[in-house]
Amino acid sequence: MENLVYIALFAPFASSMFAALFGMSPRQTFVGIVASSLLFISFVASAILAYHVYSTGTSIHVTMMEWISAGDLTIPFGFLVDQVSVTMMTVVTLVSTVVHIYSIGYMDHDKSFNRFFSYLSAFVFSMMILVMSDNFAGLFIGWEGVGVCSWLLIGFWYHKEDVTREENPSISPSWAANEAFIVNRIADLGMLVGIFIIYWNVGSLQYDVVFADLPNLSSSVLNAAALALFIGAMGKSAQFPLHTWLTDAMEGPTPVSALIHAATMVTAGVFLVIRANPIFSMTPEVSFFIAALGTFVAFFAASMALVNRDLKRIIAFSTLSQLGYMFAAAGLGAYWIALFHLAAHAFFKALLFLGAGNVMHAMDDELDIFKMGGLKKAMKWTYIYMGLASLALAGIPVFAGFFSKDAIIETAFNEGTYVLWAILVITAGMTAFYSFRQVFLTFHGDERYKEAGIHPHEMYKFVLIAMSPLAVLAVIAGFFMGGFQEFVTKLLPNYEMSHHTHELIWYLTAIVLVFAIGGIWLAYKKYAKGLKRDEKLENSFVYKLLANQYYIPNFYEAFITKPYAMISEMMWKNVDMKIVDATVDGIAKLIYKSGDGSRKMQTGNLSNYLNWMAIGAVLLLVVAALSAMLG
Amino acid sequence: MDNILSVLVFFPAIAGLLGFVVHKDSARAYGITVAAIEFFLSLWLWFSFDSANAGMQFVEMIPLIPDFGVSYYIGVDGISLFIIIMAALMTLIGMMSMSVTKNIKNMIITLLFLEMTMIGVFVALDAIIFYLFWELSLVPMLYIIGAWGGPLRVYASIKFFLYTFAGSLIMLVGMLFVAYVYHNLTGVWSFAITDWYALVLPVDYQLWLFAAFFFGFAIKVPMFPFHTWLPYAHGQAPTIGSVILAAVLLKMGTYGFVRFSLPMFPDASVMMITPIAVIAIIMIIYTAMVAYAQKDIKQVIAYSSVSHMGIIMLGIFAMNAEGIGGSVFQMLSHGIVSGALFMLVGVIYDRRHTKLMSEFGGLASVMPKYAVIFGIMLMAAVGLPLTIGFVGEFLVLLGFYQISPIMTILAGTSIIIGAIYMLAVYKKSFFGPITNEANKTLKDLDRKETWSLVPLVLIVIWLGIYPKPVLEPIDNSVKAMLVFMDEKAITQEAKDMIRVAKSSKGGV
Repeated sequence: MENLVYIALFAPFASSMFAALFGMSPRQTFVGIVASSLLFISFVASAILAYHVYSTGTSIHVTMMEWISAGDLTIPFGFLVDQVSVTMMTVVTLVSTVVHIYSIGYMDHDKSFNRFFSYLSAFVFSMMILVMSDNFAGLFIGWEGVGVCSWLLIGFWYHKEDVTREENPSISPSWAANEAFIVNRIADLGMLVGIFIIYWNVGSLQYDVVFADLPNLSSSVLNAAALALFIGAMGKSAQFPLHTWLTDAMEGPTPVSALIHAATMVTAGVFLVIRANPIFSMTPEVSFFIAALGTFVAFFAASMALVNRDLKRIIAFSTLSQLGYMFAAAGLGAYWIALFHLAAHAFFKALLFLGAGNVMHAMDDELDIFKMGGLKKAMKWTYIYMGLASLALAGIPVFAGFFSKDAIIETAFNEGTYVLWAILVITAGMTAFYSFRQVFLTFHGDERYKEAGIHPHEMYKFVLIAMSPLAVLAVIAGFFMGGFQEFVTKLLPNYEMSHHTHELIWYLTAIVLVFAIGGIWLAYKKYAKGLKRDEKLENSFVYKLLANQYYIPNFYEAFITKPYAMISEMMWKNVDMKIVDATVDGIAKLIYKSGDGSRKMQTGNLSNYLNWMAIGAVLLLVVAALSAMLG
Repeated sequence: MDNILSVLVFFPAIAGLLGFVVHKDSARAYGITVAAIEFFLSLWLWFSFDSANAGMQFVEMIPLIPDFGVSYYIGVDGISLFIIIMAALMTLIGMMSMSVTKNIKNMIITLLFLEMTMIGVFVALDAIIFYLFWELSLVPMLYIIGAWGGPLRVYASIKFFLYTFAGSLIMLVGMLFVAYVYHNLTGVWSFAITDWYALVLPVDYQLWLFAAFFFGFAIKVPMFPFHTWLPYAHGQAPTIGSVILAAVLLKMGTYGFVRFSLPMFPDASVMMITPIAVIAIIMIIYTAMVAYAQKDIKQVIAYSSVSHMGIIMLGIFAMNAEGIGGSVFQMLSHGIVSGALFMLVGVIYDRRHTKLMSEFGGLASVMPKYAVIFGIMLMAAVGLPLTIGFVGEFLVLLGFYQISPIMTILAGTSIIIGAIYMLAVYKKSFFGPITNEANKTLKDLDRKETWSLVPLVLIVIWLGIYPKPVLEPIDNSVKAMLVFMDEKAITQEAKDMIRVAKSSKGGV
């Protein structure tokens, strides 16, 4: 079994290195094929491990070698395959394999095809380290690794120029990449602080040691550690106020958005909270904060998705919103439900993004859904896939999202946090509305794309086939909820609805469904027949507020980015040059000038010299007298 | 070979003298050969070094002026070992990558003399010998900047010389005073640092002496506000000068703190934790911001050096094995990474004769190999895990967290603002469309450049994944030093602050 752990972990690494060998040579299809095969191997290994963990109920722990050892700190490269990590491994490698195969078709015409696969596989490798590590420092390796890969992949089309925010809200791929990296770094500082707190209070960073030692820690230490770790999670999972980078990250190629910015990397924050659940279970205040923030983000992001016109940005906002749901569940103590929604979401959201990629491919990279419409004729399979994914996202029964999201909403009710419950229910309606607004505007109604002279075509067949596992899972994943609960709650604390909630379950479900179906119905009424633009609505304050993301990016630019640049400039020109350096030169000049001035004493005139001698003698006498008086 | 250290110190100097008779066409090959032999000798030193032994090894002692206790006394421990190897490595790599053609013979000879002084500083165990090499190292650098530098070279080189020289003189006074106190207490003269260690000084003496040594070291590091010579020196120096300056010469200052200030004045060091940490945090944040405002790539790297040296300073005063060990490791890491970054700036300067970022843009399309190596070094500079830059920075911040969480968070902003200026440089130079015609025909790295940069890339990754071979000897010596400091400290405050690792094996 140990070998399988290494195979699962290092197959993506091998894939990345293999593709990197061809990184600077022209496009080679076999690079994509080899990379996808290696990813598939990693998936198979993960699946076998999952079965092993499932059937034996034991976890596998391997230690490869020592990494850092200084003072009393020892950090190994250790990997832990248990119920939680194996779930993540399977989900990550499955989605990754699909996305790799998909990319062979999607990146077909890109001259940097090989480089793309190298980055993509490197990402999977980092993600595997993140989920498999047996200690916080190892998690941080993966944490930063996925950050760099995300930076590389968002900025993949680095040659594009910066444009104004009005023209493109993300400015340019390289700008968006830097934004993502820097915002994540802010959160990473929080994460590091969390690691430091744990180390100085426990003396180790190994999960098992830390979790076993938690009862000995004071509640202030626990709260500080939990909060610091959660700040780290807020960056990777793009929670308010560190959320702006995620929508800008849509500048990356669409397979990247599907894999990194929907299915895997952005869920790392949720994973962290689940992984460190012993800490969070002991800090109810921090946990409630997580749930409240998650609920807020769910609503907040969904509201922005309501009016957006950019196909990928709508899905990105919905990702943000669903991450909010996951945090709500995790914060309320329903860790296994959060993990289940994480997995289900990975399937249908990746499917949705890949579908969006097909649309982009067909539409010559046009993303404005106002310029699409009626695509279902030309792209039947894409339509079906995106429709299924949207049904799952909207939480319509039998689809995966219904089970997972409904469970989260019920949890909010069960915990007696009715405000959170109400917000989550309303958000479910909004989710259904924006998902189907997008589906109807893209696939139904008048064929607005004809104005631009675009001839849409369906994606390659092998790509469509590659997407099918995700479609199947988006439909059926929900049925495995009971088995999943049994499996992961061997490790995670179980969470069951109370008797009271159980009695009301049908009413609760019905309320959520009313909202979800209502949302779809509203979208149908407004958009299925075609696009009728409402000038008055579009010019209203609320619409503009939402369309401009509450002006938060503008706010950050005006109050953080620009002042930082200005202060930096001032520090350099005014402080460093005019004060610090000028003082140094001033002292040097003073010495030089005094030397130059006193040179005049050397007149060669004896009587002058005698005068100076007299002055000197008097001075010395004064000094001597003073010191005699003082001493 | 018991006198390997003497060989390491004087071989480059003797070879440099012989260099005068070498023909100028073969001077370069001669220099590289000598530097390579020196580097292999330093590796040999590492292999014969006993990692488990925390004390001084390969000690040589020849009395020079017995009446005043001055002797030729040298040795090496885990703290100095790797700085010596790095000095030898960076001299070799610097020479290999060198593009200077004017007066090449003089340059080679100067570099070999410089190598002697650098290694001399790190092996010296006698204060006078230390001081001699310390001051001698200024001369070759003065010459390198003054003779091969840019338009402002004379101003820059004189500023460099006088500024650091002024600091060193104050340090010299401190050294003489320590020797005087030693004589008063024991009746004999000694300048041996190991003898000085045994000296238990009253706290007020410690504070004054700490201050005297501080000026010598702080200007060299350079610590804020004594740092302004550095941007001029880097701005005017040729690539090779910047590489050696950033990689090795700056480390003399931080090494001085570890070798002298901590073990000799443990109580004063503990009392100075807060002031030093404040300066270090100013260095980290302020110079990172100044770096962000720069228009010239080389100036960005120059200011970023000050910022990174701030991290090193912070770690030294963490008073625990994690922080100090991390700090010493970070000295190596910064040496390799900043050296490589200056070489990379040199690559583009050789092609375009400008270092202004506004002149570039889109270089990744025309110079992909260059972009990859620059990218790796950038990531190492911002402390990405599994690169060399992470290990030291992580340990320093971890170590200092025990002293002050708030100050650690402030210092930790370096991982954010470091990324800000570094990514800005990368974006402005490598990303975007190629707007400048002159950049469209640029050649990617040639063989010479590739062969000098690739080894550094390998080291950056190797020590990022497996730092143990280097970290272990450092850790042993640091732990022993802490045990010693703890025993020696006279104030309760110092005894409380100095944290002896549980895994320490015992005193020196």
